[in-house]
Amino acid sequence: MVKISGIQVKNLVKSFQKGTVQACKNVNLDIAEGELMVLLGPSGCGKTTTLRCIAGLESPDNDDAIWIKGRNVTRLPPKDRNLAFVFQDITLFPHLNVRKNISFGLDMRKTCSKEEIDRRVQEAARLLHLEELLDRKPNQLSGGQAQRVALGRAIVMEPDAFLMDEPLANLDAALRIEMRTEIKRIQRKLLTSTIFVTHDQEEALTLGDTIAVMKDGVVQQVGTPYQIYHQPANIFVGTFIGAPPINLFPCSIQSRGTEMIAISDLFYLPIPEAIAKNLSLGSQNLTLGIRPEFVTIGPKLENSFLARVTLIEPLGSRTLIFLEAKGREIRSVVQGEAPVAEGEAVHVTFQMERVFFFDSTGKRI
Amino acid sequence: MIDTKPRTRETQFVSTREVGLWGRMLQGDRWLIILFLLPTLAFLIFLLWLPFLQGIWMSFHNWPFIGKPKWVGLQNYRDFVTASYFWTTIRATLIYSLSTVFQLGIALIAALALNQKFIPLKGIWWGIMLMPYAMPPVVTGAIWMYLLDPNLGMVTHYLIKLGILSEPIYWASDPTWAKWVITLVVSWTFWPFMFLIILSALQSIPESYYELAEVYGANLWQRFRTVTWPHIRGAVLAAFIIRIVWNLEKIDQPFQLTGGGPGYETSVLSVLTYRFAFLSGDFGMAFTVGIFLIAFMMILMIPFLRRFQILITQAGKRG
Amino acid sequence: MAQVTDRSSFVHKTLAYAGLIFVLSLILIPYSYIALTAFKPPGEVFEVEWLPREWSLEAWRYTFKTVEFQKYIFNSFIAGLGAAILSIFIAVPGAYIFGRKQLRGKEIFFYIITVALLFPYVLLIVPITITWIRIGLYDTLPGLWIAYQIFIIPFALWILRGFFAELPPSLEECAMVYGCTQFQAFYRVMLPLARPVIVSLLFMTFLIGWSDFLFSNMLTTGEGPRTASVILYVTAVGGERVEWEVLMVMTLMAGIPPVLLYILAQKQLMKTFAVRRR
Repeated sequence: MVKISGIQVKNLVKSFQKGTVQACKNVNLDIAEGELMVLLGPSGCGKTTTLRCIAGLESPDNDDAIWIKGRNVTRLPPKDRNLAFVFQDITLFPHLNVRKNISFGLDMRKTCSKEEIDRRVQEAARLLHLEELLDRKPNQLSGGQAQRVALGRAIVMEPDAFLMDEPLANLDAALRIEMRTEIKRIQRKLLTSTIFVTHDQEEALTLGDTIAVMKDGVVQQVGTPYQIYHQPANIFVGTFIGAPPINLFPCSIQSRGTEMIAISDLFYLPIPEAIAKNLSLGSQNLTLGIRPEFVTIGPKLENSFLARVTLIEPLGSRTLIFLEAKGREIRSVVQGEAPVAEGEAVHVTFQMERVFFFDSTGKRI
Repeated sequence: MIDTKPRTRETQFVSTREVGLWGRMLQGDRWLIILFLLPTLAFLIFLLWLPFLQGIWMSFHNWPFIGKPKWVGLQNYRDFVTASYFWTTIRATLIYSLSTVFQLGIALIAALALNQKFIPLKGIWWGIMLMPYAMPPVVTGAIWMYLLDPNLGMVTHYLIKLGILSEPIYWASDPTWAKWVITLVVSWTFWPFMFLIILSALQSIPESYYELAEVYGANLWQRFRTVTWPHIRGAVLAAFIIRIVWNLEKIDQPFQLTGGGPGYETSVLSVLTYRFAFLSGDFGMAFTVGIFLIAFMMILMIPFLRRFQILITQAGKRG
Repeated sequence: MAQVTDRSSFVHKTLAYAGLIFVLSLILIPYSYIALTAFKPPGEVFEVEWLPREWSLEAWRYTFKTVEFQKYIFNSFIAGLGAAILSIFIAVPGAYIFGRKQLRGKEIFFYIITVALLFPYVLLIVPITITWIRIGLYDTLPGLWIAYQIFIIPFALWILRGFFAELPPSLEECAMVYGCTQFQAFYRVMLPLARPVIVSLLFMTFLIGWSDFLFSNMLTTGEGPRTASVILYVTAVGGERVEWEVLMVMTLMAGIPPVLLYILAQKQLMKTFAVRRR
């Protein structure tokens, strides 16, 4: 696959308070032209700092960290980077009406004719269903409308990239889902490179062409939503992504004839060939991870073990079942209604081809 | 995927000087900060601290309005402390500072009354209440000069008519009455400042607090004690401290009403400063008295200082 | 239960109205009396009578024609206006930095300003007078304008800083991403937003200049830009006999414009004065 270079972040280091706090430790990212990348991570992981470095709102420690279309922009002021930033708190200029807010960047740039500005504002307003609101002041807008105006202000710039810093965080749940779809639809239409920062994994999975998961200033994994979900690079990515979260059990590996077996106080499980070839015998301190949807409840099988149902949470189309065995909690998700009742003892089976193993450092094997 | 372009090719477009400059500016916006702070700094230095230091320097001199100053060391201080009017002026200052309490009283009554939902025409009453504060102090001073005039003033007239007084009080020449007149006139003039601050503090109390208190059966006094007072306490205190200091330097009216007399009976420290400067042209002595004024203010403020510091650091942290 | 609420609310209303009437009469009785005095002929001011027996404009004629009080009113106006404009140029940029920029030692600096807020300004009259004589600002309008800054700047910095600090943090960043320089972000975004506060500070400084007596009395002479307050003072304490009806005309002329301004700026002032509860 040939990617055309959009934005590159190379070995970005950014520290605060005279170097005592490192927000970004050697961050590398590569966003192709037209790609929508989501930066995902818990708060304080450095994702917003990374985005602000790209925008020019923070100054990285190293001189060649940020490249846009092959051009080193690390030390350029924000206004000379041809990027559009959408802020978490939306940040419309309260003293300007919607039209002036949208055209603010073009007005400042002074390279467009009046007609051109009008045309672009109209076009953006149509795209975002804002035609009726152009003469209102920001305090007369609802949260969703205000966010659309902020998007409009970004769109008319026809920038090299959109940078969005948790733009949906301040909206209520229903609106957030609606705007999420709208952002993706607009991005597909304009095919402008976009970096979208969020701490909401659902937002990340639904939006991103690629997702970069960050923690403690380090990029943990970059990949498609499916890769991130089904092939997490380490325990952190595995647990951070997925709701309800992944099940983790400490275990060790032993052999039984030609087979490899994962052993813990709870289970004794033969490992499929495809996974076993990466494992070495006698490994201690491993962690076995399995997502709840691959924990099945059913008849007694060869490798199943007994657990008690403690709690049932219907999730609509699916049901989350909490189980308990030997003091450990196990989560299982089944399609449709729960086949069991709270308090019942059931047989639990892991779909072994879906199991992950993490080594003692947390890396997936 | 992508070839990293050789570094040397890129760096030639961005000169190192620009790099350094912008890097710094982003961290500190240095030039803008310096430029914007200049006027404020100039103000603090040239209009506050330098004149203040200059004043201290002057207090060690015999410094006439026109003519050569002469170094006299601590002579001015010695003269003032041993002067016959020293304790007179301190006593006057103490009584004068009571006006802050009177102001607080009127301001509380006015603000609490005006903050009630059922009071109509609030805007008009607000405007009237601000009148004394809005007018130049010399104007209100002139008004009271006339109203309190022993021979033809309205107040004297009615007090005698109502039998409260048997004969006019010639307050301008009576040491005790002169002090109370200036204290009361200053109170009457400046209370709306506290009123404004208390009223806006009152208005920021959410209605739901009162509703809650009412649901739990709190009576009027309990509502005041548990809801109103805790909410306005900070604002009241801040206003009170500011006014203690500001009142002590409001000397337009004392100067106009009694000129500091009879003798030195109403020469509060700030009036005395002005008397020395404006009437005697003795600038060294004027500032010496000023130093005592500062000391006096500090002593008055000690009980509040701790609390005030908390308020200020809170305000500082918000920024 | 209902009875209790009713009785308490009756006490409540009585107290509130009593307080209101008490405070209002404290103000309105003196003012209405002197307003009527301004229309009394010279002979009538020596007796206590509310309404003039004979309505007279004599005092007004004297104030305009002989004293030419309007000249000094104009001086007061110019003194206040100049001081107000100057104060904005000093306080707004400084307060902007204190409110919005990370700065080492900012808290100490702010502390210094707060101390200045409590500084007894009357002290500074002494050294300022000497310096003004020395550098030629004595008896000039700019001399008054600069001197009045002492009264307002610490307060203005305090109020404006609070205002700037409370605006959303990303406003300037947003402006800068969309093409503004640092200065443009201040000029095109922050300044328009601060306009209401700036207007009320302009208004307050204007009134300080308009009302001041101490500096004007000390720093100007009869030939210079003497303000109305000084003339009022001289009329009240200067002569052998006080011309009360003239004095009352002057109080009306110098006193009513600020009151009108206050009423016009009411809403804005209430917001500016709002000291947040803590």
